[in-house]
Amino acid sequence: MLRRAAPYAVAIAGAVVVTIAIGLVSIRFQVPGLSAFYLLLVLWLGATWGRGPAVAGSIAAFLLYDYYFVPPVGTFAVRGPSELLELVVLLAVALVTGQLAGSLRRTQSAAEALAADERAMYELATAALRSPEVSVALGLLSERAVRLEGVTRFALVAMDFGSAVPLAGGEVTADELRQATWSYENKRPIGVALSDGAVRLMRTSPESKEPAYMPLASGVAVMTIDPVGSDPGDLRMLAALVGLADLLLDRRRAVLEAERARGFEASDRLKAAILSSLSHELKSPIASLRAGLTALMAPQAGLEPEQRELLGDLDGQASRLDRLVGDMLALSRLEAGMELDREPHRFADLVGTALHQLRPVLKGREVTLEIADDLPPVEVDELQVGRVLTNLIENANEWAPADGRITVGASTNEERLTAWVENDGPAIAPTDLDRVFETFWSRRARGSGLGLAITKRVVEAHGGTIRAENRRRGPRFTFTLPLARIAATR
Amino acid sequence: MSGRVLVVDDEVEMQRALRTGLRYHDFEVRAVGTGEEAVRESAAWRPDVILLDLGLPGMDGFATLRALRPATRAAVIVVSVMPGEKDKVRALDAGADDYVVKPFGTDELVARIRAVLRRQADLPAGEPVIRAGDLEIDLARRSVTAGGRSVKLTPTEYELLRYLALHAGKPVTHTTLLRQVWGEYAVGDKYNTRYVVAQIRKKLGDDPANPRYIVNEPGVGYRLQA
Repeated sequence: MLRRAAPYAVAIAGAVVVTIAIGLVSIRFQVPGLSAFYLLLVLWLGATWGRGPAVAGSIAAFLLYDYYFVPPVGTFAVRGPSELLELVVLLAVALVTGQLAGSLRRTQSAAEALAADERAMYELATAALRSPEVSVALGLLSERAVRLEGVTRFALVAMDFGSAVPLAGGEVTADELRQATWSYENKRPIGVALSDGAVRLMRTSPESKEPAYMPLASGVAVMTIDPVGSDPGDLRMLAALVGLADLLLDRRRAVLEAERARGFEASDRLKAAILSSLSHELKSPIASLRAGLTALMAPQAGLEPEQRELLGDLDGQASRLDRLVGDMLALSRLEAGMELDREPHRFADLVGTALHQLRPVLKGREVTLEIADDLPPVEVDELQVGRVLTNLIENANEWAPADGRITVGASTNEERLTAWVENDGPAIAPTDLDRVFETFWSRRARGSGLGLAITKRVVEAHGGTIRAENRRRGPRFTFTLPLARIAATR
Repeated sequence: MSGRVLVVDDEVEMQRALRTGLRYHDFEVRAVGTGEEAVRESAAWRPDVILLDLGLPGMDGFATLRALRPATRAAVIVVSVMPGEKDKVRALDAGADDYVVKPFGTDELVARIRAVLRRQADLPAGEPVIRAGDLEIDLARRSVTAGGRSVKLTPTEYELLRYLALHAGKPVTHTTLLRQVWGEYAVGDKYNTRYVVAQIRKKLGDDPANPRYIVNEPGVGYRLQA
């Protein structure tokens, strides 16, 4: 109150001092237009305190000048029109100059405030970006925010992969974290809004001291703002601080995501290393077994035919074991989410390679192909899809009758290739149509029960689907594969 | 004796099995357990074929291959239990002549060894005509006949087939084909080789399911049947 009254007191005192000065001068000299001294005072008042004190000063000057210098001296009465005019001019000039000086002062102080804001923001942003630890920078930011008029609290909560983590600005209660999470997930601020570059309070009651929540890209700002004591400039500054916090939280999120990706990569490498060492440990003894057994099968070994036959059986068992181990390792690799080596391939070539590999198994059985020559290429892992095809064709070969037929076909639409492998063997029981893809489920006594499980996982890893159905001629397996993104141009 | 084979494998049982098995097929065999010994033995004994396991302790198979390659004329067949095809490609690009995946039967191994020995014997050909089965490539006239029938190839198709024929029987990686036929800039675009091979097969009347000439080596590249 005192602070606000002081400029007016100075204005009145100033008018009195100027009046005394004019009085002292006019005793000695006859100088016309001494009232201009008052203008100097009004100008100064306007420049220093603005319009109010300037107007107060000009009214005081008007009254004092009228009383002491305008005849009849000693009264507020005015004798003639020229004296009246002089007074009116004095008042008008005082008012106008006071007004101008006042507005000049406001502009200047606004510019200074803005410059101070900018400097503060620049310093904060520099400090924040230089500090390697984002939480330190966020702490600085929060400290700066609570120095603003009317801001009593400024806490920052990060949203890390679905959980709310308070980072700066002190304790945040569980209830507040829930509110913050809601605000983040729904992308809706609570109790506050950003408009025209300033933070605006949206309160049902002005006394409410409930914190306000502003959702950001990677977190939430929790603020308590006193609606009465806040100042428009400071609320603009607060908006700038919220913007900076948004950037910093985003940077922190990027760092976290990079770390997480490195972690996943490391664990993928570990899985790959374990699987490859396991593969070595399991396969080396089988390799020695097969090399030794087949060595003794040579005629030069001098064994009886009966003994050679036994060795052949044992080698067959060793091969079966090898295949089982291979299937289990392949399944583990797929379940560990190993990367696919996807490249454009002609589907007909993949089928051709599979049939070439299966020649010893097919023993001369013809496979009918229904694959158009001009199908667009698929984008797949050659070895994995090769496994799908060999598994399905081998499966068909086992179920088709001796003189039965196996058909492999494919067609495409804009998005994918649909392929099928069909045989004219016995139908699959309707209840088993889904179960055939389950791990360790086999229709045969000696099947590993892994082939179709692997097949399904490979197809799904490529973003495709697979199903078994009974057609009129026999069971058919249908699966989809993605087409190459860039169609071959030649 | 049909040739000297140096077995490099750290499993004693494997060494013994291969020594026995290969001797029955008239090979002279020595076996060592480390890469260092392999380098020493290949210089001292001068084998014709080295069977090199990639999973050696200490100096691994790739380091051994690099150490062996400049010093020996022996054909190197890489042996691995790893199902990953990247190892095969790496070994072939590092100068291996062929690869066999463990476990294998003795007959299969003997066939591979005989094939690389045959290729070695054929090498100093310098002849103007390459023959692989009933496929004939006349290098001077740049003409190709398959089963006596003349085949018209584009320059790219001809270059690719010629390169495969010059290395008939050996798996040639996609990278090598791309580098040799197209140039360094094309390395990486494997669909180029796949597309051109499909075209050559069509012109030669070759069925990928039952190939007479070009065999696909999944994940690796192609091999022209010798």
